[in-house]
Amino acid sequence: MTSPLLDVEDLSKRFGGFVAVDGVSLSVKPGERLGLIGPNGSGKSTLVNCICGTLHHESGSVRFEGRALDGLPAHQRTRLGIARSFQLPRPFTSMSVMENVRIPLLYTVNARPGPKQSARAIEERCAELIQLVGLAGKARKWPRDLTQVEMRKLELARAMAAEPKLLIADEAMAGLSHSEIDDILALLMRLNERGITIILIEHIMRAVMSFSQRVVVLVSAKKIADAPPERIIQDPEVVRAYLGQ
Amino acid sequence: MNFPVELFINSMIAGLLLGGFYAAVTSGISISFGILDIVNIAHPAFIILGSYIAYILNTRFGFDPVLVSIVMLPVFYWLGAAVYQVYYLSFEQRGQEALRGLAFFFGLLFVTEVGLILVFGVDYRYVQAPYIGPSIRLAGFDLPLRMLVPFLLSLLLFAVLQLILTRSFIGRAIMAVSQDPLALRLMAADPIRIKRAAFGLSIATAALAGALLIVIQPVEPSVGREYIGRVFAICVLGGLGSLPGTLIAAMLLGVVESLTSTFYGPSWAPAVAFGLLLLTLAFRPSGILGR
Amino acid sequence: MRSPVFFVVALVVGAVVFAASRYVENEYFFFAGYVVLQFIVLATAWNILGGYCGYVNFGSAAFFALGAYATVTIHKLYPMPIPVLMLVGGVVSGIVGFATGYLTLRLRGAFFAIATLALAVVLQTLIINWDFVGGARGAYVIRPNSFPLLGSYIQYLFGMMLLLTVISVAGARAIERSRLGYGFATIRDDELAAEASGVPTLRLKLIATTISGALMGMAGAPFPYYIGYVEPGTAFGLAYAVNSIAMPMIGGTTSWIGPVIGAILLGTVQQVATVTISSAVNLLIVGILLVDFVIIAPNGIVGLVRDRRIGSTTVEPTVFVLLYVLNLLPTIFLAKQGQAAQSIGLVFWAILFFVTYARGRMIGRVWLMVFPWIGAGLSLVPVTSETPVVSTVVLWSQGVAWLAIDPPTAVLIVSLVIQVIGMIYGAALERRTPAMTTP
Ligand SMILES: Nc1ncnc2c1ncn2[C@@H]1O[C@H](COP(=O)(O)OP(=O)(O)OP(=O)(O)O)[C@@H](O)[C@H]1O
Ligand SMILES: [Mg+2]
Repeated sequence: MTSPLLDVEDLSKRFGGFVAVDGVSLSVKPGERLGLIGPNGSGKSTLVNCICGTLHHESGSVRFEGRALDGLPAHQRTRLGIARSFQLPRPFTSMSVMENVRIPLLYTVNARPGPKQSARAIEERCAELIQLVGLAGKARKWPRDLTQVEMRKLELARAMAAEPKLLIADEAMAGLSHSEIDDILALLMRLNERGITIILIEHIMRAVMSFSQRVVVLVSAKKIADAPPERIIQDPEVVRAYLGQ
Repeated sequence: MNFPVELFINSMIAGLLLGGFYAAVTSGISISFGILDIVNIAHPAFIILGSYIAYILNTRFGFDPVLVSIVMLPVFYWLGAAVYQVYYLSFEQRGQEALRGLAFFFGLLFVTEVGLILVFGVDYRYVQAPYIGPSIRLAGFDLPLRMLVPFLLSLLLFAVLQLILTRSFIGRAIMAVSQDPLALRLMAADPIRIKRAAFGLSIATAALAGALLIVIQPVEPSVGREYIGRVFAICVLGGLGSLPGTLIAAMLLGVVESLTSTFYGPSWAPAVAFGLLLLTLAFRPSGILGR
Repeated sequence: MRSPVFFVVALVVGAVVFAASRYVENEYFFFAGYVVLQFIVLATAWNILGGYCGYVNFGSAAFFALGAYATVTIHKLYPMPIPVLMLVGGVVSGIVGFATGYLTLRLRGAFFAIATLALAVVLQTLIINWDFVGGARGAYVIRPNSFPLLGSYIQYLFGMMLLLTVISVAGARAIERSRLGYGFATIRDDELAAEASGVPTLRLKLIATTISGALMGMAGAPFPYYIGYVEPGTAFGLAYAVNSIAMPMIGGTTSWIGPVIGAILLGTVQQVATVTISSAVNLLIVGILLVDFVIIAPNGIVGLVRDRRIGSTTVEPTVFVLLYVLNLLPTIFLAKQGQAAQSIGLVFWAILFFVTYARGRMIGRVWLMVFPWIGAGLSLVPVTSETPVVSTVVLWSQGVAWLAIDPPTAVLIVSLVIQVIGMIYGAALERRTPAMTTP
């Protein structure tokens, strides 16, 4: 039994009086593909924000590779190997697509111990990443010239640029066409084959079910199920709360 | 050395009266900065503008400064609404409030101050009214009417604002817009209109605060800048957007300032508010009542 | 151009300017030039934090004054050469910048701005109550008459300030193109996304406040020797606070050249203008230009030249009425300053004309330039005490016409008609009573 890569224990987060995440525990093994689903407002993004350090949770703990992350600022978690894409794309608006992707290379990859990448290598890596997510030809464009879908791809490219061990994709595929979804899924699959653990948050069932080895279901801030996809679709509670209606 | 009790109590009373007035001055910022999240550093400029309008009408026609300010309330309301409209169209809508919006208000503050200097010079101006001068004696202590009247009017203003914000439809809408603009839109209320009304309200309070200011002390154009520190210190100390917290913080500042100038000399007083602000920001950014 | 190369080029340019200035006979040139250079440093310093990171510092005057008062203190204890004083001033202001940032930068951005406002008042109160440096009365710092090899001491001060300018401009440019500069830009764009990309935002913000504060302190260090007599009112003067914000905003905040352009433009105009008009009117114009630019040309002059396309801009009656009221203020006050002030009025309107024209062309509303035309026309009206009345009438009739009829044509027609009437009336009045011209 391998030790978990990410271990979330009894995590709670409240906004004022409102509990957005309520005692969620979750553990992800290295190399796993985890799906995270739940109705709108069930707390998925908030959970991700707590894992990544974007928000500070009140109680519970997050461990990554056995190391407690509590109190670590977000940029250090990124450097440790947790990268995420934002649900609502947050590009750096005064920079070109290319420069957007360059930031994590400058500040995460080159901030890790070991040999630094040269400016030339960084340039090539940016181009490669942009190509991978299907933004080739848009490298010199500004974020404001991109469509919503392209911005999601940029989010993904920027997260991948940090060379993470764990990649959390928060609804990276919303609004994409069938073939584009398949492209992104294939891309994530290839990353996974290279050993990167992936948490996929998605409303598109077809994508989640085909991609994930295991699915976690959040409903109104609580975890109600944690099982392989084929069991999830049969779980009566999940069906009642989420899938059915 | 024995402790000068009487001096101390007199100074406390003066501080409390002053604090009540500070609360009135801050109520406007409490709405714009605390509730609407608009960092209107030009607010004191509007207060000074209010002082000068009271001054002009008082010296030319002998009108009562407070009466003048009450007549000016709607004018200031519309002025505020217009400023918000400009702010919204030019900055908020484009997401540029952090840098350019602040610079815009700074520019307004500056232009108002320099404009007033050009018209009126840097001399101190004051008004005449029956309640400036006499004082009443209560339990052996002097209560100057010059301070007492603004104090009572400030409390009145405060009570009215609190009522408006918690009881009226527009007031509740204002509170709602600060929490959840989306929900408000579902209620078919236009958040921009609500914010404009709230900002107008916040500037309207400046008319009254300005009149009270010139009743309390002679005014010259740069007095406004001293109040920037005070109002933001009180607003932050009181917890953003909480009117009761603002009242407590204002009293606190009034007393501390008054004690400082009694026991260390008035030249130290300006540093009190700012020092308090820096300390609050450093150690208790959510305010005294905050969690 | 690579940064080291640029630095060498800037150094050479600085040396050439200095060498050329040796042929200037007029001492006034050095006094004026010193101030312009000082503003280039202040604007560049402000821009490192404000323009690159997006954090507004209202306390430039405080950092500047700290440098100046560090010099006063040292002067009283043991006089030292200017370069040493600059270093000391830089260290003092840099430390204060770091401390202010450390206290407030973890909170929402607005708190930092408010804290810098507060800082200026706290420091001024401290200085006023500190007798060693003269308190409220101020302190005399006798400037030596000459400096070995260079001749007059003011030339030496000018040279030192020129060197500091070269260093800070080259430094700002180097930062802009470095990893640090990219990091700053991510902070300006989106701090959450920056953190998620591994950018240590707090540390970078502290670096920026420290560098920015230190440069301001360095600019302030030679000031006591320049002015000869320092009192809190001048050292903490409003001019520093407003100019160091207005200059980058007008020049353009996203690149190093913006503050330089803004400082040269505004600094020179102000230096020329102080001869003819009061410093209050001077500052009024700066403040108004600041408001104009943040609304009409958010990316400054650099943006006007560089941006071929822009996002949607609303041209709303409210916005233009406000701008118009503001922009008439200097005309009114300049009218009171006498004939000589007219040229200043023209310069001011020329700047505004350029801005409005460029902006109007971008958004397809060329008629916007009607406004500066009117303004320029007004400032040509012979100076009479009636000029303010004329401008008020123009303003209000335009406002009414705007709301009543189709905006562009209405504004054009009404303003032209009133303009002509106003000018004829003004001229007639002028001829009948020449004594009306106020000095
Ligand atoms: N900063 C915040 N302040 C207050 N409430 C918040 C904040 N962020 C999220 N919430 C609330 O917390 C709840 C959970 O939000 P979250 O974004 O985590 O949901 P989600 O599962 O990601 O939903 P979706 O599928 O729509 O993305 C929602 O009710 C939301 O309104
Ligand atoms: Mg979400």
